[in-house]
Amino acid sequence: MKKILCILTVAFLVTDFGLYAQNQNDGQQRRQLGHTNENKFKQLYDEFSTPNMYRTGSGAPGSAYYQQQADYKMDIELDDKNKKITGSETITYTNNSPDVLEFLWVQLDQNRRSKDSKTPLISSDDVKLASSPEEFVGSFLREPFDGGFNITSVKDASGKPLKYTINTTMMRVEMPKNLASGGKFTFSIDWWYNINNHVDGRGRSGYEEFDDGNRAYVIAQFYPRMAVYNDVEGWQNHQFWGRGEFALPFGDFEVNITVPADHILDGTGVLVNRKEVFTSEMMSRYEKAKKSYDKPVIIVSQKEAEAKEKVFSETKKTWKLKAENVRDFGFATSRRFIWDMMAVKIGGKDIMAVSMYPKEGNPLWEDWSTKAVASTLKSYSRMTFDYPYHKAISVHAKNQGMEYPMICWNYGRPNPDGSYSDRVKFGMMSVIIHEVGHNFFPMIVNSDERQWTWMDEGLNTFVQYVAEQDFGEWYPKAIAPAKEYPSRRGPAAKIVPYMSGDQSFIAPIMTNSENIYQFGPNAYAKPATALNILRETVMGRDLFDYSFRTYSKRWMFKHPTPEDFFRTMEDASAVDLDWFWRGWFYTTDYTDIGIGDVKKFVVSKEANKQVKDYAEGRGAKLEDFGPLVFMVEEGTDEYNTMKSNGNILDNATTLKEYLMDNFSVEERKIMKSPKFFYEVTFVKPGGLVMPLIVEYVYKDGTFETVTYPAEIWRKNDLSVKRAIPSEKEIVRIIVDPNQETADIDTTNNSWPLAEQKGQFDKFKEKMKQ
Amino acid sequence: MKKIVFILGVIFLTISSFTTTHKFYVSVTQIDYNEEQKSLQIISRIFVDDFEATLQDRYDSSIKLSSENPNDKIDGYIEKYLQQKISISVNGKPVVFEYIGKEYDNDLILCYLEVEGVQDLETIEVSNTVLMDAFNEQQNIVHVKKGTQRKSLMLENEISQGMLKFSE
Repeated sequence: MKKILCILTVAFLVTDFGLYAQNQNDGQQRRQLGHTNENKFKQLYDEFSTPNMYRTGSGAPGSAYYQQQADYKMDIELDDKNKKITGSETITYTNNSPDVLEFLWVQLDQNRRSKDSKTPLISSDDVKLASSPEEFVGSFLREPFDGGFNITSVKDASGKPLKYTINTTMMRVEMPKNLASGGKFTFSIDWWYNINNHVDGRGRSGYEEFDDGNRAYVIAQFYPRMAVYNDVEGWQNHQFWGRGEFALPFGDFEVNITVPADHILDGTGVLVNRKEVFTSEMMSRYEKAKKSYDKPVIIVSQKEAEAKEKVFSETKKTWKLKAENVRDFGFATSRRFIWDMMAVKIGGKDIMAVSMYPKEGNPLWEDWSTKAVASTLKSYSRMTFDYPYHKAISVHAKNQGMEYPMICWNYGRPNPDGSYSDRVKFGMMSVIIHEVGHNFFPMIVNSDERQWTWMDEGLNTFVQYVAEQDFGEWYPKAIAPAKEYPSRRGPAAKIVPYMSGDQSFIAPIMTNSENIYQFGPNAYAKPATALNILRETVMGRDLFDYSFRTYSKRWMFKHPTPEDFFRTMEDASAVDLDWFWRGWFYTTDYTDIGIGDVKKFVVSKEANKQVKDYAEGRGAKLEDFGPLVFMVEEGTDEYNTMKSNGNILDNATTLKEYLMDNFSVEERKIMKSPKFFYEVTFVKPGGLVMPLIVEYVYKDGTFETVTYPAEIWRKNDLSVKRAIPSEKEIVRIIVDPNQETADIDTTNNSWPLAEQKGQFDKFKEKMKQ
Repeated sequence: MKKIVFILGVIFLTISSFTTTHKFYVSVTQIDYNEEQKSLQIISRIFVDDFEATLQDRYDSSIKLSSENPNDKIDGYIEKYLQQKISISVNGKPVVFEYIGKEYDNDLILCYLEVEGVQDLETIEVSNTVLMDAFNEQQNIVHVKKGTQRKSLMLENEISQGMLKFSE
């Protein structure tokens, strides 16, 4: 009992000092005001919606989770001569929700390109004092391109016209009677539109026109598509302004696409009439490709494609594709396409990795596109779940990258003479890995892109980093002379310029896609970096990877929200991450952690003045507190008279007595005998809470790294102290020695304050040598 | 201020319109005022393929910008070009910068420039037309840092210079 009392008293002795002094200084000041819970570790109850039967507190789909189904049967015809596409589609919509639906919402994304599109009206614009004639004509003289949908009929299954209302990019269809829970409604829409040039007009879908008059079409969001109805948004009918991408329900597709007979076409789904559209030569090459696991087999060669350039077939051919459980449908077609394929084994199943490209993509494309596709499927399947579709296609489009189920378009074009820079090569490989990766996020883990760009782009860019590093390892020839793949996004240090930038141009990650200032860093790089830091520094690979896979599997072929992700990562790991989500996703805070002060102490024979004064101030004698061990700070006046030399026990009789009375000789032998005591004050000028990673360097050159969990900041967000006993003298202390935390200011990261040389000074010095 | 917001907005839209990018033409120049050394420390990051093409067109078609090609003449060309295309005034007076050197970082070339003898920085005017002679769409972002204050300029063909004020 007495012992406890003693310890308590000493503890109070220390804390009381501060309070005592403060009370005296403040004198008659007003009482402090109260406040709400502003702790950075406060759980996210206010930000998160309450769990329910649809979505559980664990982050998994709940027992009443449902999702709607939209099945499509479509006949499409592409008119190459007039750059027009016409379609007739029948949608069967299944209402799996418990709700009665009074109307349906259908998305008309092409209306962003209609003459009366509101998209151009929401960007601010100013008169340019100088511009190219092309720009001037485009801005002021030319009639805007009319690429919106022309809806020619909307009818129910019996052919009776349905009432519909078009609000810009959304169409409300009224049903003859309300659609009950569990009910199905079948209706059809006929439509056509003028296809845009996606190179000039910068689009995700459209054609590229070559000098010889040929075109390569990459066609997507080309048909009226059902909007998502769910427990979170009701109808997700937020307009398509051009940036925030898509939210789509899953369904089965049967699509017949009629194109000029000399075209090569591929798209989402299984080609069901291969024998009708393939030559026998192509068939036998295809059979060979299905067994080629190490390199692609050419199905249509460059020579064969070139032979068709001048012919422009007048006859037509219909390609029939069938896809199950996809959220969308896209296709690419041209007579100029070269086509190659190889097989890749994923979880015991053979998947086809496919590339289609005009000759302009060579030699880069025939060398690396299909291999990059195969490599990506392997990496992503390891990080998430086995790729469930039967193929993945990479199509070469001149200057854009965009993703659809099983098919994507990618840039990366060599110079006309076939030469290319590293920028083009790595740009091409990175974009293929990225877009093929989108098959997982959001095509299968089907998040709402219209609302949250980061949920697919951020997660995808994170896995892209892992996949790029794999690709570099598996195909060293592809990246030579580089030794590892030069990823642009992922490593912590690469996000520092963005996070340390002007706050007026930074928005939290949890911001709607249309309202972000710096789209790339905000929706791609920052969430990807945050996840990389979470994996490498906060959770560790084992806990992170298991949780990330759990999230992917839980929400495979479903519609997750941000909270489902946040909750699952905690649920599967037992790591409280609310502080991490709050800081990295809900604020624009940045990391800045440093060393404020380092004091050295030694055990002293007697109490110093401060301790004595304290006892005196209370009218007590030091002896009243029982036996005490005293310490004195190096560098103070008292230090020289009271300092220890050698063994601490020599100075502290009380400690020696205590040890001898309470421990055996054997026990005493294995006890630590620190000779140096340090009190280190760590400061945190940055708002982000992060683990405190500290490297202690000893006089003999050895060092030790200690990671204090982020929770060390839970009671004081600005600074914390640590008492460090050490057998060896510490000569240097470094915070975040390996730049794992995206610390934006490293000038305060070491003690003694190292002369901090910036990048500029370091370079200048190097040049002088 | 409003204009900068808009311009930056457009830029970033262009940089990463859907998934990653169209080919974009952007350089980023970081100017740090080093109070102790009384100097402006400048690092200009330019895409190496665009820069190479421009120098080839202007001076010599054999120019190759690559870390594997240590050629003294190249520094001469780079310096000559940058001296023509970048000009800086501090507190209303034109200043001269020295070309320190260059290094390569993947697809970027980093050019190091320095202005010495800058006793104080109240206003800075920067004109940067790098690569605008070759690419119509070229945009040059300039970030200036003094102490903890950071300000930015977005320079384009039609507005190729701008001024930033730093108050104490």
